[in-house]
Parts: sequence; structure tokens; C-alpha cells
Amino acid sequence: MNMSDGEIRELCNRFFDAYQDRHVDELADIYAPDCIVWHNVFGRETTGTDNLAALPASYQGQRRRTYNDRIINTFDGGFVIQYTLHGVQHSGHQGALWICIVGLCKDGKITRIDEYMDSGKFPAWRGRGKSDAMEEKAR
Amino acid sequence: MRQDWNTLALCDRFFDAIEQKDFEKLEQCYAPEAIVWHSHDCLYQQRDANLAVLKDGMTRLKKMRFKNRRVHTFEGGFVQQHTLFVTHPNDFVGQMDVCFIGYVRDGRISRAYEYFDTGQIEKFLGPARGG
Repeated sequence: MNMSDGEIRELCNRFFDAYQDRHVDELADIYAPDCIVWHNVFGRETTGTDNLAALPASYQGQRRRTYNDRIINTFDGGFVIQYTLHGVQHSGHQGALWICIVGLCKDGKITRIDEYMDSGKFPAWRGRGKSDAMEEKAR
Repeated sequence: MRQDWNTLALCDRFFDAIEQKDFEKLEQCYAPEAIVWHSHDCLYQQRDANLAVLKDGMTRLKKMRFKNRRVHTFEGGFVQQHTLFVTHPNDFVGQMDVCFIGYVRDGRISRAYEYFDTGQIEKFLGPARGG
């Protein structure tokens, strides 16, 4: 069944609210069973299941994350969202990443996510020096 | 529907013009007030400055190809995902995954956002920065 513009927009916001509030169960409900997640930083596809399994460990990285400045545009069968991810690290350092996601939707679920971000900004996001990031990359 | 078709045509014209090194056609795709934001510096670049960068690339690089184009139109614009392949003067072929979002006014791109990963810049410029 085709989703309306309003339904797609609502699904998109529900997804980011759940991500922000760490509601993994709700995210599992939002992902279609065969959902694919692709990240430009890694250049490979993973399954929605793998993505969800990695979330608890991923959340431990920051004290808080908020998904702000959301600009959502919908198209037939999906959305594109531009947003700023603000994070507070355990050290208290506040960082930001500017991200864009193209999401495909069907029957009230997200079937595919393509995420674009700049890993060159990871050191500033984490609040660590560039040399730390180089060492990490070399390992 | 007609608006969708026009927006799709504009998107194709813009990227085809870069591939074909047709600067005049490229320039016509931008509205007079066009600005372009890039994810690496989070700054808005003015129309002329952006066109100068594109012109330099079109002149200096042997080839620029936007492959695996996936385009969606929305009310007031479009989003295109592609892999940009560039052939440098030293024949190194660089590549980068890009998401380009264009906002359209009166049939021209008035504002654009370009997202890519500078963490993989060597894959794009080559180890020797493209020669």
C-alpha cells in the first residue's frame, strides 16, 4: 500500500525520536524485516537486524545524542532528511555531525536507509586530537 | 507530474553538463542567487565561487562521471545519490559516494547541499593528491 506524504513524514520523525530516546524495540518495529542499512563511511550494506544489534554498544559511546535541525522532504516511497546530530561525550565534550539520510518506505516500515556523513569530523565529534584518530585508523 | 518531470530534467541537465564539460549549460542550471553547502566545511558557497571550482575541475580533470545515479523528486527539489568517478591528469581514477540535494526555484537550482566523506579523500584524490 502506498504511504501518504504525512505517513512517511510521521514514520521518519518516529524513527529519529526512537533513535534519540534509545528505544531499540520501537526501532525494530519501524524496520521492515528485510531492511538494508548502508553507510557511506564503511561503503557496505548491513541488515537492519545487525544495525539494531550494534545499537546498545553504540549508545554507550555518548552520554546523550539529539537529532536536531531536521529538514524532511518526502517523495513517492520515501524521504530525505538533513539533520545535525549533537552528542555529549562522557568527558562532557559536545560535538556535532551533519548527516543526510535517504530512506525508502513501504507498508508503514522503512525498507532501506542510505546514510551520508563525514568521518573526517569524527575527531572533533569525539573531542580527541587528530593524532588519536590517525592512530586508531592505523590499528 | 509535469513539475516532477521538469525537476528530473534539470537534475540530469546539471550533472550531464559537468560530465560533458559544457560550462554554459551548467551555469544556466543555477539561479542567480544560488548557494551551495558542503558537508566538509558546513559553509554556504556563493554561486560564482562554486562555478569557479566546477570549471577548474572540468578543465583540469580528464573525465568526470556520475555513476549509479538514483534520483527522487520532492516538492521544491530533488535528491540524487551517485558515485563520482574522476580521472586525474596522472590517470588515477578516484571515486566518492555523494548525496546531492537540490532546491529548485523557477526551474533552476537555488540552493544545494552536498554530503560526502573526507575520511576517504585519498580514494578520491589519489595517494599523490591526483598529480
